[in-house]
Amino acid sequence: MTAVVDVERAGTPAPPAPAAVRRPRRRWAKVVRFRWLLLMMLPGILYFLLFRIWPMWGAQIAFKNYVPFLGIQGSEWVGFHHFQEFFSNPDFPRLLGNTLILAGLSLFVAFPLTIVLALLLNEVRLSVLKRTVQTLVYIPHFLSWTVVVSLTALLFAIGTGPLSSFLDGFTGTETNYLADPDWFRPLILLQTIWKSTGWGTIIFLAALASVDQEQYEAAVIDGAGRWQRTWHITLPAIRPTIIVMLILQTGEILNTGFEQIYLMSNALNRTVADVFDTYVYFTGIQQGAYSYSTAVGLSKAIVGLVLIFGTNWLAKRFNQQGIF
Amino acid sequence: MRTRRLAPLALLAAGSLALAACSSGGSGDSGGDGGEALDSLSIMAPYFSTTPPEDDDPVGAKLAELAGLDLDMHWVPNAEYGDRTNVVLAGDEIPDVMVIQQKSQGFVQTAEAGGFWDLTEHLASGDYPNLVTENPEVQQAASVNGTVYGVYRARDVVRTSITIRKDWLKNLGLEEPTDTDELMALAKAFTEDDPDGNGKDDTYGMIIPAWGASIGTGSPYDAIETWFGAGNVWKDEGGELVPSFTTPEWKQALDYEKELIQNGYVNKDYATMDGSTQWNEPFLNGKGGIIIDVQSRASQLAGLFKEKDPKTYDQFVALQGNIAGPNGDFALPTPGYSGFLAVPKASVQTEDQLKQVLTALDKLASKDAQILENNGIEGDNFTVDGEHAVFDKSKQDYTDLVSGSWAQIGTNVAGYEAYKPKPETAYDEELENERLELQAKDLEKAAFNPGAALVSETYMTNGVQLDQVIADARIQYISGQIDEAGLDAAIAQWKSSGGDAVTAEMNELYGQLG
Repeated sequence: MTAVVDVERAGTPAPPAPAAVRRPRRRWAKVVRFRWLLLMMLPGILYFLLFRIWPMWGAQIAFKNYVPFLGIQGSEWVGFHHFQEFFSNPDFPRLLGNTLILAGLSLFVAFPLTIVLALLLNEVRLSVLKRTVQTLVYIPHFLSWTVVVSLTALLFAIGTGPLSSFLDGFTGTETNYLADPDWFRPLILLQTIWKSTGWGTIIFLAALASVDQEQYEAAVIDGAGRWQRTWHITLPAIRPTIIVMLILQTGEILNTGFEQIYLMSNALNRTVADVFDTYVYFTGIQQGAYSYSTAVGLSKAIVGLVLIFGTNWLAKRFNQQGIF
Repeated sequence: MRTRRLAPLALLAAGSLALAACSSGGSGDSGGDGGEALDSLSIMAPYFSTTPPEDDDPVGAKLAELAGLDLDMHWVPNAEYGDRTNVVLAGDEIPDVMVIQQKSQGFVQTAEAGGFWDLTEHLASGDYPNLVTENPEVQQAASVNGTVYGVYRARDVVRTSITIRKDWLKNLGLEEPTDTDELMALAKAFTEDDPDGNGKDDTYGMIIPAWGASIGTGSPYDAIETWFGAGNVWKDEGGELVPSFTTPEWKQALDYEKELIQNGYVNKDYATMDGSTQWNEPFLNGKGGIIIDVQSRASQLAGLFKEKDPKTYDQFVALQGNIAGPNGDFALPTPGYSGFLAVPKASVQTEDQLKQVLTALDKLASKDAQILENNGIEGDNFTVDGEHAVFDKSKQDYTDLVSGSWAQIGTNVAGYEAYKPKPETAYDEELENERLELQAKDLEKAAFNPGAALVSETYMTNGVQLDQVIADARIQYISGQIDEAGLDAAIAQWKSSGGDAVTAEMNELYGQLG
């Protein structure tokens, strides 16, 4: 992981040019100097142009009454009609609420757990044990959501699942965990934690490996216990990593849930399960409401932007470096 | 970190636009051959078989021979057919003929913008005898406000039925139910009176799987509501269309369904059970004893019992048709069709080409073609015995392939002329006869959807979300999540968020076409 980060760092046109001489020759010289790095960036740039920027052309259908037969150009402009319709739809507050709650759970519960697990792993002395545990916690990452959801369905099947019977034993009542709206979010959170916590530790473990060991030695001499060392040395040392990961997570969060949520939702928990992505799929792909669903997708993008800028702003407020 | 910082932004902004990405200008030149005659016919169709037919499939070759054109088949698994239709409509590769399964927003908008040929006149002209319908009402129902955009795929009008564990009836000394009260009593007895006689409380009455978030799709709930007299999606009350779920009968039916579920007469996972893979299981394993579904469910179950034990399999499946409700005697019919074959203008551009396509479709609906599509290849996987087909057991896989794929392009609007399978035993024949008898009997009391042909503009834009409001409220009410006030609130929400407009538009169209 560190290697990747290094390459990216190097990729930025870093060391500020001595005395800003703006002669084209100098600039060209810089291009020549960084030619290999620039070359390495090329596939990335192409990727974004081709798959992220170019499709933006199609985003205009959110402002049109897009009919495929007429084409994007030929369809009639309707301005913000689809947005108005969506924002005035009773579904909107529900979707926004569900999306934000699930995002919040994942951000404030699942994300800190990743750090905790990384810290715990970091404290393990026995390297065989550490490696074994690491390998084991990485495994769920490689299972598809379909498999994870099927496992959940088996474990929590009403009346017959081992976990649901176990839990029912405590409560004395029979609960349909898979269909009960109250259980939807806990289950989603549980799955997310199970699947992604292990994998998420990788970056933190890399950051932890780079913490200066001398500081620990000094702390030990000063009589600091384990908790104190973790609190006063380890955490501050990886704080920048945490902040950057947090901001990146906020950006990803609205995108990642589709498969999981789609598979977990059913008629009885839909009130809490519907999020922007499932709604876009439902209205756009399944029902062919192309323009409307694109408008919904764009609205989701706006929520995402707000989240990112919000986190970044918060990071800066707390005197941390943001990512922009 | 610069590349990093772009990543999440671009992801967010563009990830949501995957839709837009696959939709760059569909109007164009996909057919590509201008005014020239077609040299092959591309058809997009769903398949139910485990795999689609190979390119060199013998049925395909013979059909191509009949049609006089090479067939270029685009097979799509049925489960994702709806999705694919919408994506294909928005793409560049539009086939010459598409099976359209439902009048979705994507289809209707495209059709009304002129993206599909209006076949009303062509089909009525009589130039294509095999495409002239024997049931004009069904063709009307398959149309969009009277405009026929496709050759519908004919289906039995009466399919709803109740399949019951015959041995359980016998053990308890009960009869097949004839009305909803008896059905409730039967579900209760199957749950509480130990119908399998093993001394354990391990059975329940009715098996209901999870159903999609829409109404009027032939679910067990829809059937019960129709039996109670709530109509079928729409109800004609004194010349005016009202949505079935605004009728008092509908609420009465919901209370009945709620009673079934709250008393434990239904499987507990009714909201999550996967109907396509798990519906038969409880019936076969002796967990549940009543299924409300299509009639073919009964023969399917009988077939599965036969696999287990061919000697006693005739003991387990009893078939009953639509039953009377407290407000009269009604049957829930199907629309009589399952989608239609439409011709997009993007690929078939001239009248001459259209004639060519229709001529081919006409040939593909002839008796010879129907036999190929539904039975397979005579002398290979089946032989003819009088009026029936006798299938070669060793070639069952191929028979399944044919009926799961080629049958999907069969229209049969002028009548089904392929061979029916020969019943293997007296019991099979009995079941088949009972099925036909029930069909005839139930047809007389069928509650047809008076609004089947009508497509309201508002419904086109938010119909799906509107349907979902009601479908969700229904299951929430039945499960006890919401009370009657909650149900009323959902109906009020339906009305205020477009439902009132839908009703008004439907009635206007109803008046025009009525």
